[in-house]
Amino acid sequence: MAESGIGASVPRTEDQRFLTGSGDYTDDTTFPHQTHAAFVRSTHPHASFTLDTTAAASAPGVVTVLTGADLAADEIGTLICGWQVTGKDGEPHKAPPHPVLAVDTVRHVGDAIAIVVAESARAARDAAEQVEVSYAPLPAVVSMRDALADGAPQIHSDAPGNLCYDWEIGDRAATDDAFARAHHVARLDLVNNRLIPNAMEPRSAIGDFNPASGDYTLRLTSQNPHIHRLVLAAFIQIAPEHKLHVIAPDVGGGFGSKIFIYQEETAVLWAAGKIGRPVKWTADRSESFVADAHGRDHESHVELALDADGRFLGLKVSTLANMGAYLSTFASCVPSYLYGTLLQGQYTTEAIYCEVKAVFTNTTPVDALRGAGRPEATYVVERIVDQAAREMGIDAAELRRRNFIPADAFPYPTKVALEYDSGNYRLALDRALEIADYGDFAARREASSARGRLRGIGLSAYIEACGIAPSQVVGSLGAGVGLWESGGIRFNPTGNVLVYTGSHSHGQGHETTFAQLVSDYLGVPFESVEVVHGDTEKTPFGMGTYGSRSLAVGGSALVKAMDKIIAKGRKIAAFTLEASEEDIEFSGGDFAVAGTDRSMNIAEVAFSAYVPHNYPLDELEPGLEETGFYDPANFTFPAGTHVCEVEVDPETGTTEIVNWVAVDDFGNVVNPMIVEGQVHGGVAHGVGQALLEGCAYDADGQLLTGSFMDYTMPRADDLPDMTVETTCTPCPHNPLGVKGCGEAGAIAAPAAVMNAITDALGTNAIDMPATPQAVWRALSE
Amino acid sequence: MPVNVSMNVNGRAISEEVEDRTLLVELLRETLRLTGTHVGCDTSQCGACVVHVDGRSVKACTMLATQAHGADVVTIEGLAEGGKLHPMQEAFRDNHGLQCGFCTPGMVMSALDLVARNPDPTGPEVREWLEGNLCRCTGYHNIVKSILAGASTMRGGS
Amino acid sequence: MDLSGEFHVPLPREAVFEALNDPVILGRCIPGCQTLERVSENEFDADVLAKVGPVKARFRTRIAVSNLNPPESYTLSGEGRGGAAGFASGSADVSLETADDGTVLRYVARVQPGGKIAQVGSRLIGGTARKLGTDFFSRFVEIVTPEAPSEEGEPDEKEE
Repeated sequence: MAESGIGASVPRTEDQRFLTGSGDYTDDTTFPHQTHAAFVRSTHPHASFTLDTTAAASAPGVVTVLTGADLAADEIGTLICGWQVTGKDGEPHKAPPHPVLAVDTVRHVGDAIAIVVAESARAARDAAEQVEVSYAPLPAVVSMRDALADGAPQIHSDAPGNLCYDWEIGDRAATDDAFARAHHVARLDLVNNRLIPNAMEPRSAIGDFNPASGDYTLRLTSQNPHIHRLVLAAFIQIAPEHKLHVIAPDVGGGFGSKIFIYQEETAVLWAAGKIGRPVKWTADRSESFVADAHGRDHESHVELALDADGRFLGLKVSTLANMGAYLSTFASCVPSYLYGTLLQGQYTTEAIYCEVKAVFTNTTPVDALRGAGRPEATYVVERIVDQAAREMGIDAAELRRRNFIPADAFPYPTKVALEYDSGNYRLALDRALEIADYGDFAARREASSARGRLRGIGLSAYIEACGIAPSQVVGSLGAGVGLWESGGIRFNPTGNVLVYTGSHSHGQGHETTFAQLVSDYLGVPFESVEVVHGDTEKTPFGMGTYGSRSLAVGGSALVKAMDKIIAKGRKIAAFTLEASEEDIEFSGGDFAVAGTDRSMNIAEVAFSAYVPHNYPLDELEPGLEETGFYDPANFTFPAGTHVCEVEVDPETGTTEIVNWVAVDDFGNVVNPMIVEGQVHGGVAHGVGQALLEGCAYDADGQLLTGSFMDYTMPRADDLPDMTVETTCTPCPHNPLGVKGCGEAGAIAAPAAVMNAITDALGTNAIDMPATPQAVWRALSE
Repeated sequence: MPVNVSMNVNGRAISEEVEDRTLLVELLRETLRLTGTHVGCDTSQCGACVVHVDGRSVKACTMLATQAHGADVVTIEGLAEGGKLHPMQEAFRDNHGLQCGFCTPGMVMSALDLVARNPDPTGPEVREWLEGNLCRCTGYHNIVKSILAGASTMRGGS
Repeated sequence: MDLSGEFHVPLPREAVFEALNDPVILGRCIPGCQTLERVSENEFDADVLAKVGPVKARFRTRIAVSNLNPPESYTLSGEGRGGAAGFASGSADVSLETADDGTVLRYVARVQPGGKIAQVGSRLIGGTARKLGTDFFSRFVEIVTPEAPSEEGEPDEKEE
């Protein structure tokens, strides 16, 4: 293994700029003649309103105040949902209009009403306070059950009963039959708590317009600049794609929340066109809390049927999923195709049936958040498995072993539409238990007990589906986009390499990982590789980064491009070395004539391609630059087992995580250091969900957890040191054998924590977040 | 009302006319264009804006620029000397103590204040010290590791 | 949330009731009240400067008097709009009972914050509302009482 090649923990290239304060985040840029925007937002969860912008428009420093009426006059479209889910009834989901600026009616606290553009951010904020909004409050619905109740206030006239869709997957009859044969049925009601994403960098956007050329530029916090361009051009219709340049520079974390096309960047871009000057908006954190799409928010009833030996006969799940007030960009697919399809877990459960009602409420829209549907599925499966184990008196690990899909059963068609490609679940479980010293747990529990503490251990044998694909399949399921990725390789005449990827790095370290991949594959020095991403005018059209897809899909696209480079290089080398193309072998950056010492380095080949003095110009074009597009044959299926051990203080209800072990199968790993870091971060997100984070609205629809003072983010002393290991069954259908690692921790962790806590407490009656108060109450009841 | 503020920032004397309600972080980012200091919240919780004022870590979003009048201010831009990373910066890179990089300047500045007060902190002491710094990416594991390693180097360890 | 309190006023019930309907007195009782004017028989507009935790704003407030049952009880309600800071609406059912040496004033109030006040100040709204309620009625007692309020005039309020 080369020091910087595939499998090496290379320190990250991007760190130099981040560590010296030289990062290039959206808000760090100031354009000449830049103006600043502030939004007027609804303070009511549901109200009709009228506006008077006169005072604001004449406030000091104000350039313009624009409203929904101005948008309509300019025929600017509404925001869209890019995935159309079809319900049980064969009807498409309800996607009511989501105006860029609300017209007549606001539907959640934070809904944007007007944009105020001024010479400074302060002037814009001051003037926004001068916009007179007269609200006539309408009855609001906050909980999903209230929203579905007969006679509930209607949020959208075209979504009767506040129902977005009623969807199902699996085989109801077969599942009913399985339950009829059951020896034991475990039942559980679960809440998957609503989370607020809170990437540390608030969202930001700077729109610009050049009246001379008609070109628009949008610099923003995006995980997928080309998707932003496509939607803003084709659907919202601010400018055609070739006249819109979207740049996502350094982005300070996304976790899903920066995938979506929001009100603010749309309004900022449009406003820039109207005034012919750059317009910058950067959210303050209070805005992020009400305006960034939230995550999760499911209520589920789950039943697991087992035979006398504890084999899983059937799984039945019924879920309500909160969509919030409008259908966000990919909201519809999260509690359906990214959720119901994962209910097989790692098990041979014989029959599965799941139905999901997606519901509108007067709350901030809900969409994909780190894991997106898969944490919810894992939570359902892994909680009910533990409960069944306890009820049947079978060890939780043993029950899982009895039901694992065996390592020799792949490819394994699931009962919920997917085909698992590879895995060895038992291997990961056994290794995790070994590291966690599972066998000795009873003694540790006793020792804790002697100190008046309750100790528990929880497992989570999770599975996820990453690198969502193939395009034809997702298209047939309602996706409005393809889910391939692009990659470009450009050799310069001097032999160094520019790598263009449609993926986007916002913390994942692509500039390092992709450079390792290219350096290793093409045999060029790591230092000679530069990765370019996040700019629609530099990179080929690409789909961006989400769903743990970058290496599996984006990396594979680069392999496609590199294979073309090598193929062309082989021809050039054959010509130069006067050998037949078939005799040229490529290895370690050298094209060599088999069985001889004649060879040519790829840098020499590149030089020859650009200075084609001795070159087969009649057969080959000059230059050495190739682009690859890769559309995967299947999802990848990372899986593994996480073990969480907790100690609960029954006096205070405080839970301390005393040990964390993660053993994950990510297939092949390019940079183990980065992969480990991704697991740490994912686990922290999942621990946050399980112990600390819970978005709360009051009964009227006001967000109560609207700042870091009330919304509990995980801090350093909430989290343990973690032991992270990997196993490896390479993905059989992508050229790198890689699977994806960015979401695993967030998917695995909540169930592991809650299984540990319920083990410690001896009761299942506790929901996330298991705050000290919730634990104390559970113990008191 | 405009007021004059003068201070040393990263060893350089500056003097600027600013509106009296200008925060130190606004002076740094907007007037001096030192954009390494970040703003991640509006309630003084996240610590992305931590800088040193007269040697002590301060949340620059919670201090008026005028309050730093006459002070010595050091930001993340002032740590590396001649392109060579400070040992604490080096430790963050070697131990993958950062991912998206947004909280990183505050983390590094905060870590340096910890080490100034406690040159040989334990893991739990580091975690406790970081109470005022939020990170969403790393799960803190590698940040703690980085700070312990950085402290060790600064003590003259290996 | 619901708040309630009880005050002793050393005046006859009729006088207390009258004072409770006097815009000049009301204006002096509302903490942070800059201006107060009558806009109709039972409605007043007030301009109030208030602070909830970190949020400080000028509230344009419409105060209405309803359920008039002189001299026993009435309902005082108000909705303050603080622009970007959000809004706070509330109402107080006030009842008066004749006591040996004057009148016992009791109130039960409800407060509903909205927007940034709810978002950022929700944990502080209870304390703030309690303080505003207490301030309002203790100022009222102070203003209408010929001499300094007695010990019994001290608030005895609780949150329910």
